[in-house]
Formats: sequence, structure tokens, C-alpha cells
Amino acid sequence: MNIRAILAIMRKDLADAIRNQFLLAFLALPVGVALLLKLVLPSHSADLQQLTIVAYDPSHSRLVAALREVPNVRMLEVDSGSQLAESVRENGAAGGLAIPSGFDASVEARKEPELAAYINYEQDEVKRRAFQSLVQEQIMRLTPPPARIAWVDIGAPAEPQTQVRNYRDLVLIVIVLLSVVATGMLIIPLLLVEEKERRTLSFLLVSPAGPTDIVVGKALTGLICSLAITGVVLSLNNGWKGNWDITLLALFLGSLFTVPVGLLLGTFFRNVLQLNTWSTIPLVVLLLPSWLFVTRGLPPILQTLVRLIPTYYVVDTLSLSLAGEASTAKVWGNLAILLVSTAVAFIVAVWALRRRGSYSF
Amino acid sequence: MFGYDGRESEMNAIEVENLTRRFNRLCAVDDVTFAAREGEVFGFLGPNGAGKTTTIRMLTGQLRPTAGDIRVAGLRIPGEEKRLKSQIGVVFEHQNLYERMSGRENLAFAAQLYSVPKPRVDEVLEQVGLSERAKDLVRTYSSGMKQRLLLARAWLHRPKVLFLDEPTRGLDPHIAQEIRHLVKGMAGEGVTVFLTTHYMEEADQLCHRVAFLNQGRIVALDSPEQLKLAHGQRRLQAKLVDGRVLSLSIGNQTDGQRLSELVASGEILTLHSLEATLEDVFIKLTGRGVRE
Repeated sequence: MNIRAILAIMRKDLADAIRNQFLLAFLALPVGVALLLKLVLPSHSADLQQLTIVAYDPSHSRLVAALREVPNVRMLEVDSGSQLAESVRENGAAGGLAIPSGFDASVEARKEPELAAYINYEQDEVKRRAFQSLVQEQIMRLTPPPARIAWVDIGAPAEPQTQVRNYRDLVLIVIVLLSVVATGMLIIPLLLVEEKERRTLSFLLVSPAGPTDIVVGKALTGLICSLAITGVVLSLNNGWKGNWDITLLALFLGSLFTVPVGLLLGTFFRNVLQLNTWSTIPLVVLLLPSWLFVTRGLPPILQTLVRLIPTYYVVDTLSLSLAGEASTAKVWGNLAILLVSTAVAFIVAVWALRRRGSYSF
Repeated sequence: MFGYDGRESEMNAIEVENLTRRFNRLCAVDDVTFAAREGEVFGFLGPNGAGKTTTIRMLTGQLRPTAGDIRVAGLRIPGEEKRLKSQIGVVFEHQNLYERMSGRENLAFAAQLYSVPKPRVDEVLEQVGLSERAKDLVRTYSSGMKQRLLLARAWLHRPKVLFLDEPTRGLDPHIAQEIRHLVKGMAGEGVTVFLTTHYMEEADQLCHRVAFLNQGRIVALDSPEQLKLAHGQRRLQAKLVDGRVLSLSIGNQTDGQRLSELVASGEILTLHSLEATLEDVFIKLTGRGVRE
């Protein structure tokens, strides 16, 4: 491999991408949606009308103290855990918290204590989601590592629940997956197909850059764009409120997975029109897991099928992370599947490129 | 004797033996053999579809031959393509530039690929007369400017062999003349130029030797002068003041004497040689025009 050529191609593509209106519009899409999300769905703690929360907190935890400080939140306390659910209903509270004794000490000792959060389904959805979001936000503010939340539904309809409990987080997952998957999967083939369509690929192929250098240069450009856009999306949302390390790993693996998929698309299509027409199909398939998380309540057959899509494991890891439940033990399986899927996709891409031969793409 | 500076070389920059390329049943290049010497401007002439571009693609390592041997700058193709890349410059038939980048950015990118020092970019831009428009985006360039930039890009790393595939195709005559002037300048610096064209007057102006390609085969190979002599008529055409037109054979004593008398008597209005053009020779050899 010719590192100089790879870097030259990467720099050229990045500079060229800034002047490519189609590409810019596409890159701006997830950023625009993230901005919209920020404007339309501001932080839940900031827009509460009046939220009642009942707590059983025998050891007077910092969490409940922090919740008391939130404007428009009315905190009620009960003397025993058994009274909690009843008190939530009677007081028309959005939810209740059963905080175990010695909670703060367990947090400090990094034992990741579990607290039970009761959601009152007799209250309207806005209040329920505000309560869930508020609790998650406050938990994440605790000194690391945060506690785990066991959600308990009071009077809930019989429908399956995802880990993520508010619209803001669900939409965030959709946007993050869009920026990870779509950026890598469309930029890489677009860069390759444009070189073919404008015949600049012939120039590259007679230059000291070999076919491998060209492919690696494009792949790196796609990966950088994908990670950069995802970074912008996250920063627009004031960062990630979940487990950072696991989230970053999942996003990186997700981006990496899109590289060989993008290369395959770029190899097969000869012009931008063909690419735009046909690449929507794999794009929609890979984005599907994030939309299904939003719609929830899938029939079992669809739940099984969606697990065949590698990006499902990115979404699952992100949702666990947002809920503060992404412990290594819970997500290693997801990350392993992502890693294997990426490896398999790379093998297929290399095989396809070799079949086409080094004289053309 | 080759090179516009008059240098002579016996070394071959390009050697091709029994080169064949088939696309399924179609034989695009059929058992072609030729050699171009160092410093020579070698023309590959033929109508569209004759196999010119296919030959260039094989010589530059972009297409694998079905059969035959190729050596370019002493390197065997296929086999030594990696080493070949820094030894050749290619101007493609299509204007394949990065249109959203400026002229200078296009060359700077090529300079990075070829490990050429940055000052060379400005030097080449100056050489092709694009210094003043170097910062402008290529999409704002005229066809002629793009073609000059393509030449600059191919010339940037001082290749030993320059491949020019129809470098003046579709250009206005005066712009085509500018390009030919630039090519002459580059050839004057000792580079071997392999030129494909279907413009016979271009080949006549630029090439030391030309090969006529028809349906994938070389039908003639020699200097333009020799081809014209071998296949043309050594005659003069005299138009007299009284309107008559006379055809006089060069080398014929009687006709020579007659010409002297006509000149002396002032009866000649115009006098033209009936030397064949390259196009005439091509038609004679192939039975078809080069623009067909």
C-alpha cells in the first residue's frame, strides 16, 4: 500500500466533498434533524409543568435531593416500599422511586446499585415520559458509575417495552444511526462512482496509486465523515447521557460495518443515478432497526427478523447505554456480533473487488 | 533523427510485439508490432474504432492484452505496472479533471500522488499558460484550458513516455494549434510521445513516424514524408492566365523544359505540387477515410 497516495486521495476527497452540494446536503441532513430535535424537544427538566414524584428513600439519597431542586417537581415521600405504588396512584404522581438503603454509598463504591422506578400509566404520556427522562438525567449526573434502573409499570397496557423510555432518546437513536450508517454507506460509493462517471478513475489508475490505495482512501474518507457527523449530532444534544465508552465502541463498529457495504455499492454501480436509485434499499434495511424501536410492539416474527440486521445490535447497545444499563456483561454479545458482521462484510467486499480485477472497479 | 532539438536515439522507449486484444468475438487490436524510439513523436492514426485507445490502454497498464509482448520505458507490461506508473504521463481522450477543484488543486493532487515538489506545480502552470487562472475552479475553464491542464498534469512528473489520446479532439482549430505547440515543446525536452489521432494534418505536423491502424491492424508505418512520397504523385499543377490547367510530372525532362518556358513567358497564374496528403495515403491503403 502507498500511504502517501492514500492520504492524498483522502485529503482530495474531503476537500472535494465540501464543494459537492449533493454530498453537503446529505451530510447536513442528520445535523439538521439533530438541531430540530434540540429546538422542538428541549431538555425535559426544563419544560415541566408540574410533576409529582413519590419516593421511598430511607437513607436520604443525593438523587432525591437533586430531584427536589428541579423546578416544578413536587416530591412526596412514603415510609415504606410497600406503600409506594398505592401512593403514586392516590397522589396522581407520574411515578415513584424505591431507593435502596445505602444507595449513595453503593454508588460511591461503584457497585451500580439498582433502584426501582414505578411508572404510573394512569397519567398522560407526556408526564410519564417526562418522569422517565428526568430520572435518567439525574441518575447520569451521579458520580460514576451510575446506578441501574429497574422499571416497574403501574397499570400499563400489555405491550413489550424497550429500554429507552422517552421520545427524545428514541429520536436521538434514529438520528445517530442515520449519521453512522447513511454517511458511510452513501459517501464511500458516491466517491467511487463519481470517479468512474467523470473518468477520473482512469487517471488514478495510471498514477502511482493502486486500486487498493484508492479503495482505502475512499473508505477512510467515509469513516472520517461518518464519525465526524455523528460527533456533531451528539454534541448538538449536549453529549451522550449514557455509557460513553460502550457507545463510542458501538458507533465505531457501526461505522466500520458500513465501509465494506459502501465499497460493494461503489463497485457495482457505474453512475450516480444508479447508485441513488438502488442504494436506498440497503440503506432502508440497515436503518430499519432504529425505526422499529420507535414504533415498538412488533409481532414476534418481525422481532426475530430484525435481529438479522447487524445495525440492530448498534441500536440495542445505544438504547441500553441511554438507559444506563449498558454494562459490559450486557453488551459484549452485541459488540461481538457487530465485529463478526463487519469482518464478514469486509471479506465479501474484498472478494467482490478481486473478482472484478485490479484493472477496473 | 528524432526530437525537436535534433537529438538522435537508437533506444526504444516503446516495444510492442504481436499485440492482440479481443473482447469476446471482436478483435480490437490484431497482432500489432511496432517500436517507438526515445525522443520520437510516434503517431498512431486511424478512424474511430480502429483500436487506438485500446492500444493505449494496454500500453499504460489499464487493460490486459489477450496476447503479445509490451515494453514501455524498458518495463514489461503486464508485470511491471507499478514501476511503469511514474515513468509515463497520460492525456486521456476525455477531459477527466476534478471540476470542483481549481487548476492548481488538480495539479497539487497529482503532485502528491507522484511525489513531485510543490514548486513544480507553478512551473508547469506557467508552461501551459494557466498561471493567471490557476485559482479558478476547473468547471469555469474553457475546453482549451482544460486540455492544457490535462497536458500539464501528464507532464508534471517529467515522464519518459507521454501518451496522448486524441489530444485535440473537438477543439477549435486555433486552440488545437496551441496544444500542438505545447506538445512540440514537451517533445523538445526529450520525452517520447505516443500520439493517437484521426487528424492527419496533426500527425503530419507533429510526428516523426506514423502507423496507420485499420480494423485493429497496422497497414503502414513510416515517416509522414516517406508515406506521402511512396503513395503520392510527384506532379505539379499549373494554372495559366488563359484559364488552362496543366499537369506536369516532376523528373520528366520534357515537362521540366515546358515549365521553364511557361515561367519565363509569365503565362503561369498559380503553381501547386500534387503531393499526396496523409489522408490520401490512408484512403489509398485502406479504402476508407480516416473520419469515417
